[in-house]
Amino acid sequence: MLKKLKSAERLFLLIKKLFPFTASSSKGKILNEVQQLVNNDPRSWLDAISTWKNLLKLGVREELSQRDAKPPKRKMRENETIIAKKLKTEEIQKIEENHRECQLEEQTEDTLEQRDSTTRRDKLEKEEIQKEVEKAAGAHSQEDLTFRVSCRCTGTIGKVFTSQEVGRIIGIALMKQFGWKADLRNPNLEIFVHLNDIYTVAGIPMFRAPLASRTYIKTAGLRSTIAWAMASLAEIKVGTFVLDPMCGLGTILLEAAKEWPDGYYVGADVSDSQLLGAWDNLKAAGLNDKIELLKVSAIELPLPSESIDIIISDIPFGKKFKLGKDIKTILQEMERVLHVGGTIVLLLSKDHHRLLKDCGGSHMPLDSKGTHANEPGIKKCLNPEEKTDTSERVTSSYEAGNRECSDKMLPFGSLVPVECYEVSLGKTNAFICKYKKSSASGP
Amino acid sequence: MKLLTHNLLSSHVRGVGPRGFPLRLQATEVRVNPVEFNPDFVARMIPKVEWAALLEAADTLHLAEVPRAPTEGYEHDEDFLRKMHHVLLEVEVLEGTLQCPESGRLFPISRGIPNMLLNDEETET
Repeated sequence: MLKKLKSAERLFLLIKKLFPFTASSSKGKILNEVQQLVNNDPRSWLDAISTWKNLLKLGVREELSQRDAKPPKRKMRENETIIAKKLKTEEIQKIEENHRECQLEEQTEDTLEQRDSTTRRDKLEKEEIQKEVEKAAGAHSQEDLTFRVSCRCTGTIGKVFTSQEVGRIIGIALMKQFGWKADLRNPNLEIFVHLNDIYTVAGIPMFRAPLASRTYIKTAGLRSTIAWAMASLAEIKVGTFVLDPMCGLGTILLEAAKEWPDGYYVGADVSDSQLLGAWDNLKAAGLNDKIELLKVSAIELPLPSESIDIIISDIPFGKKFKLGKDIKTILQEMERVLHVGGTIVLLLSKDHHRLLKDCGGSHMPLDSKGTHANEPGIKKCLNPEEKTDTSERVTSSYEAGNRECSDKMLPFGSLVPVECYEVSLGKTNAFICKYKKSSASGP
Repeated sequence: MKLLTHNLLSSHVRGVGPRGFPLRLQATEVRVNPVEFNPDFVARMIPKVEWAALLEAADTLHLAEVPRAPTEGYEHDEDFLRKMHHVLLEVEVLEGTLQCPESGRLFPISRGIPNMLLNDEETET
């Protein structure tokens, strides 16, 4: 059930979280502090490990009954500004709640769900988890547990110690404290330790594979956690037409259709190979009936105006789409086909995002009233009252804006920004931006 | 390509504009797939359907039992909803063509995916 967390990358059971170690003290002192991590409070380690064992057992029982029960709806912190690559979350609280809920839900058994290819992969995972539980259960006394420490040292402390050094120290301390054996190849228990300038954290990973790798997606394009987060911002309801005009391998549509199966999903791409990949993904996930594919160019959508309710798209980064002309046309097309009141959620690179902001800013001096009301496209919190009388002003500032930003992106005539979040894609950052189409339409 | 999707598509050949809808459908390979019936979903689709286009497409495919128009109180008419469900979601055109009614331009459908790409001369500016 923890697998139902769709926006999280990896899940760890927290053992300890502390303030960062001060790197200014002597090496010996820091070594001491690292050892203290283990020795100071052995109880917390043992507690964490028994919770972990319990969760594993529960996990296996769940998998065995192939449940499709409603997960406790946990809003995976969409308001977090940075979703880090390895999301170490303080999950102990939630896990304990989960634990109790798991126990309650266990009473009701559900029917088996038939899903060909996903069952295969699920089965493999099931077996893995079963083996793990057996190992853990087999190690009924703490002494038999084999473990491995994975350590990451970055920031100032990373300059003093290498990750291996710290890992070794912790490993030795654990062996001394609890009598566990180290097994680097196939341990029962894996301990993750992360030392950096912000925190010192030790935790146990809950799953072998990161949560971001889904059983139902064969080949992922965009990171599935980001895709899910975008879909969840889009307000998909029963019977909404959802379009992804540059769907690639269809990751966004897959995540959306999986979580919100009541929409009508259409994906479009110009590339045959991408469409084939998307088709494979759809088939593997069993979602062919929910998602339709079109070979269509985003620069001109063969759709009547105002026919789509929601558009979710990952605007391609990089050199393929020249910033400027193409992007402008794509956005205009998106705006055209969208219903009034419809929603657009875009993943923008830093450059695109900056262009949007710059462009909006350039026609500020042309506004006679000197208010910011008719600036479509920048601020996060617009006053809804001011929007009602801006229909003419929007058009005029739009035209003026036209002259100002000839080779930049045009502000959207009627798209009102609602929210914007910065997210991390691993090596780079990007922005998830949500817009709504208001009733004022551009020229 | 399902008929619900066909109902959405319009030609974007230069100069054609709204006369590019609906696209004339010709099918050489059609498949009927069972799809899980969701009455809520179908009921919400009904107001969005362009009926003339749908009927034209359904006739070309020689589909039987196609309701000609929404009935009074269709949201609760399960028979009606089931028929619509079948027409909109269960009939899939795998191979065929779509034709722009104004310009005559043909768009092929292959493996269920319509190819609506135009070359540069044909596109709207």
